[in-house]
Amino acid sequence: MFEELNVIRMASSLARHASARHRVIAENVANADTPGYRARDVQGFSTYVNEPFTPRATRAGHVSTPGPTSVRYRSEIVHDQALDASGNGNSVSIERELLKAVESQGQHARAVAIYSTVRDIMRLGLGRVR
Amino acid sequence: MFDLVNAMKTAASGMRSQGFRLRVVGENLANVDTPGFQRKTVSFESEFNRVTGATDVRLGPIRLDETELRQSYEPGHPLADERGLITYSNVNPLIEIADAREAQRSYQTNVSIFDQARQMNGSVLDLLRR
Repeated sequence: MFEELNVIRMASSLARHASARHRVIAENVANADTPGYRARDVQGFSTYVNEPFTPRATRAGHVSTPGPTSVRYRSEIVHDQALDASGNGNSVSIERELLKAVESQGQHARAVAIYSTVRDIMRLGLGRVR
Repeated sequence: MFDLVNAMKTAASGMRSQGFRLRVVGENLANVDTPGFQRKTVSFESEFNRVTGATDVRLGPIRLDETELRQSYEPGHPLADERGLITYSNVNPLIEIADAREAQRSYQTNVSIFDQARQMNGSVLDLLRR
C-alpha cells in the first residue's frame, strides 16, 4: 500500500541513494591511506530520476511521477586533477569526503522527514491525531 | 539500510587498520634506543569484501625499514664493537610522531563516518517507534 504512494516511493529511493553514497564514502575514508586507491562517488540522485518530471497518466484523472524503485546505485572513480597531489597515487581528500558525508546525511534526514510527515497525514485521514 | 550497515563495517575495517598502525608506531618508539632494532613499516591494501560487496581496507605485509642503522662512537660502552662503535636503531622519533598523528586523524574520520551511518540507521528505526 505504501509503495503505491509516489511520494513514499520517491522518499525511500532518496534514502536508499543516501545510504549507497554513504557506503562509498566510508570506503573512501577507510582507504584514505592506501597507496594507489582512487576515490569513488555515486552520481547525484537527480541523475537517477526521470528528467524532467513528466507526470505519466495511465488512466484518466490519474497522475503519477515515476521514481526509481529498484535501481542499483553504482559508484565510479572521480576524475579530478586537483586530487592527484599526493605522491602515492591516492586521490582521497578527507575534507571532501566529510563534506559529502554530511550531504548524504542531510539527504537521508530529508527523506525520513518526508516519510514521517506522509505517515502523519495518513493517520490524520484515519481519524487518529498523533 | 544494508548499505549503512556495510558502511559501518567498512569504517570499522579502517579503524582496525589505523589502530594497528598506531600499535606499530608504538613499538618503533619504544625501541628507539634498542641496539640493532630495525624500524617496522605498515602498508595498507584495499580488499574487495565478497560478503558485503564493499572495498574494505586491510593491512599489507609488515616490512623492515632497510635504511642504515644509527652508529655512534662510544668506546667505553659495554656493547661497543672492537672499533668502539655502537649500533643503535634507525627509528626517527619525529617521523614516528608524524605517523601517529596521521593515524589518529584517519581514525577520527572513520569514527565520524561510523557515527553518521549509525545516526542515519537510527532515524529509520525511529519511524517504527511511534
